[in-house]
Amino acid sequence: MAMVPLSDLLLWSFAGVLFGSLISWIPGFHIFNIMALLVAVFGVGELMPVQAFPFFAIGAIVAYAFVSAISSVYFSVADESAVFLLFPTQRYLLLGRGHEAVLLYLIGAVAGTLVLVLGALFIFPKVLPPIYQATSPYITYFLVAIVLFMFMSEWPKEGDRGKTPAERLWLAWRQILGGILVFFISGILGFIVMNTNLLPTTSAYTRLTPMFIGFFGMSWVLLNILSNPPMLEQVPEDRVESSIYNALKATFGGALGGTIAAVYPIITGGMGALVAGHMTSQRGDDAFIISQGVNRVIYYVGAFTRLFLPNLRLTRGAAAWLVSSVYTPKSYSEYLAAMGVILLSAGISFLFTYYLSKFIARSFNVLHIKKLSYIVAVVLVVISYLLTGPMGVVVLFVSTAIGMMAAAFNTRRSYCLGGLVLPVLISMTGNTGYFMHLLGLG
Amino acid sequence: MRGFTHYISGLAAATFFAALVGDLRLGILIPVIAAAAAYFPDFVDFKFGKFFARRDYEIDPAPWDEKKHYAPKLVKISELSEKNRYQFFAVEGKVEEILVQGSGKLTYKVLREDGTEETVTDSYNTIVFTLNDGTGKITVEAFGDDYEFFEEEFGKIEEGREMLVFGYVDVDEDGSLKLVVSDAPHPQGIAETIARAIEEAYREGERIVKIHNIRLPGDVYRQFFVHLDPPKREVRVEMGPIVTPGGVAIGGDVPEYRKYGIAKVNVPFIKTYPKPTRVDSFSGPEIAFRRATFKGKTVVKDRFLPWHHGFSHSLTMGIIIGLVVFAFFKLIGYEHATELALASMIGQWLHVFEDQLGFMGSNLLPPITKDVIPGLKLGESGSGLTNFSTAWLMIAFMIWNFNRFTDPRPIPISDAKLLLYLIWPSIIGFGIAIIRSIRMRKELKELMDYYTNLEAFEELEEVGGI
Repeated sequence: MAMVPLSDLLLWSFAGVLFGSLISWIPGFHIFNIMALLVAVFGVGELMPVQAFPFFAIGAIVAYAFVSAISSVYFSVADESAVFLLFPTQRYLLLGRGHEAVLLYLIGAVAGTLVLVLGALFIFPKVLPPIYQATSPYITYFLVAIVLFMFMSEWPKEGDRGKTPAERLWLAWRQILGGILVFFISGILGFIVMNTNLLPTTSAYTRLTPMFIGFFGMSWVLLNILSNPPMLEQVPEDRVESSIYNALKATFGGALGGTIAAVYPIITGGMGALVAGHMTSQRGDDAFIISQGVNRVIYYVGAFTRLFLPNLRLTRGAAAWLVSSVYTPKSYSEYLAAMGVILLSAGISFLFTYYLSKFIARSFNVLHIKKLSYIVAVVLVVISYLLTGPMGVVVLFVSTAIGMMAAAFNTRRSYCLGGLVLPVLISMTGNTGYFMHLLGLG
Repeated sequence: MRGFTHYISGLAAATFFAALVGDLRLGILIPVIAAAAAYFPDFVDFKFGKFFARRDYEIDPAPWDEKKHYAPKLVKISELSEKNRYQFFAVEGKVEEILVQGSGKLTYKVLREDGTEETVTDSYNTIVFTLNDGTGKITVEAFGDDYEFFEEEFGKIEEGREMLVFGYVDVDEDGSLKLVVSDAPHPQGIAETIARAIEEAYREGERIVKIHNIRLPGDVYRQFFVHLDPPKREVRVEMGPIVTPGGVAIGGDVPEYRKYGIAKVNVPFIKTYPKPTRVDSFSGPEIAFRRATFKGKTVVKDRFLPWHHGFSHSLTMGIIIGLVVFAFFKLIGYEHATELALASMIGQWLHVFEDQLGFMGSNLLPPITKDVIPGLKLGESGSGLTNFSTAWLMIAFMIWNFNRFTDPRPIPISDAKLLLYLIWPSIIGFGIAIIRSIRMRKELKELMDYYTNLEAFEELEEVGGI
């Protein structure tokens, strides 16, 4: 099948950016879920040539990597009285500096785009295949090592204030054990979803969608509703407090974490960021937000473009699996075109995010996050139902409860990734049958 | 170094054993134990040792509200006593009587950057009133910059008005308690307690002080610094700005008149780390003050985090880990228990060695050796450069080992060439770190000459300077 003409390629890429931009600012929405919904409802082939689908997807994913900064800065707001630790972006929002946080993120996203495109053109085709070949048989080693490190390195936030050593130990370990519990409960749910007929087999690539919406989307939305955060006035000025040194260090750390996550399966952007953050000893909220921008672009977009890499062609991420089920790019010219589309999409997404942030900063208290969260909660239930039926909604509720547990234990949200990591580890080590028996599932 | 650097060193240690790499290829993940062993010293210290450590003095400048987990704690007036002097609290009650309202002159001492003191006199506005919360009454006092804030927040104060006031507790000349309106505790309480601990350590042998941090609403922290100044024999505490957990200052500088707390110490002491102790996010430190002999004189020495870098950070512990790992895995029938034990021991030793590149140092071979061997001071434990260089080196070793233990080799070039291709970023990183450390050691020497200068104090004593 030949590559689509340039005019069609640009048209569909632009459509992808527009689609991605319009939905990515909404809290709880993930581009992978919405793309899956789009394919499930409309299909590909009639409206859009199949060869154009990868470029449409690139546009949408780039837009998501940029525009999702809006939802993570403005719509995962925290009640200032929350006992939980806050993300740096939430702190910026509480200080009225949400727009500044978006600008820092955009600095990172632009840097990430440049690193990705330059790397993809000059380094990855030559360096990635041999390194990947040498290390890929040991992916389970890396994976289990990261999970064990997450457990071992959990920082006890409360143990200090107990009156006796026993009380201090309990306060500290309550959080650590809570994290482990969240990981294993998530893992059991993931194992059941992946290995049983709980969800219809026709759901294919979208089987995990309700679970992830629950872990990371719906639980945030519910917290927004429960905490009833104040809608503080925001400063829409174009001003950032950072330094070239911090930006460069953050770019390096973000690129490292994003690349690890983009290349190796199951290792997510958060896990990659954890590794890279420790490796480069990152400190500072500005550096953290910039590195998030770099990391997310390289993780989401970089992982997807592995599908285009002619001498490696790795399928990484739900979007890549979805697209590859329709059409897999084959030529080097498609790879080069993808790089061009990334740059073009990044430019459009940057402008969209910038102006949207300015607009939201100016009118931040017009619509209370609580009202928006109610609407989003309903939409998330509808998406889960459309993709996976009534049992999908049940999975959504269970995974939401698990996501809320992570917040209640004041532990890492990323422990919910146990829903993916644990069943994959069980499968990769050949123990699926044993665990099916253990859980009484077969 | 940071935890992950140690951890990845253990992961790399395992890959030097062909048998373990072979197991990993087969999906046997037991070799990850070597990484856990490499991280073990910090795990034991930070997850257990820290909580069991003795605390002779517990300094909590701003106790947490038990429900909200941040300061200030809302208390009943009847709960307050002289013990709470300088601590930061919130009190809610009704204005009973306005005692004073007007202006005056305030004289206080400030510290200049060169360490000299200056006496400053400012004019100020003030209000003094009594607040009753049903359990008792307390005098509330606002003056200076705090009065401006107070007036902005509450407007005109009238008798009978309900209000929530926060500030630090102080004791009047007549012994009665008062609440001084402020947005931070007064640092004098911290300075006095540390000074008392140093004096007691001189008499009794050892005192351990736990200093809690100050967490405020919105997951931000009030930063403060503890300076031990041996030549002047004083403890100075400086109240800093409000910072995020990432260390970014977001304002909230305190007025000069309640920025510093200074307490004199009547015994000789020296400082073993050349920088002031900064307290902000995560948790506050523990500092041990121990009687020791220095240049033939009895002094008190400080030891930062006394529960850290103990037996867990010794080569002896590595041997024990190796033996335990060997015994356990032999018992369960793991074929490569010997290799795994060696990898675990080497992983733990790498941890000890990597930490020895920093400042704190460890007692390397107890019980044969008794004292801590100071670190090589190549960089601080949080240095991005040394952490990255070490972690990258370990990643390079892993790729190198995976390649040489695979047949046919995925990267078909000679071992030496591949290693060189992989490790150059680490070589550059360590090169820069060594150049930096040469410069830093010079500066440190000057500082340490100051911090261990007992003569300066003795001269002051002779001329009656303290």
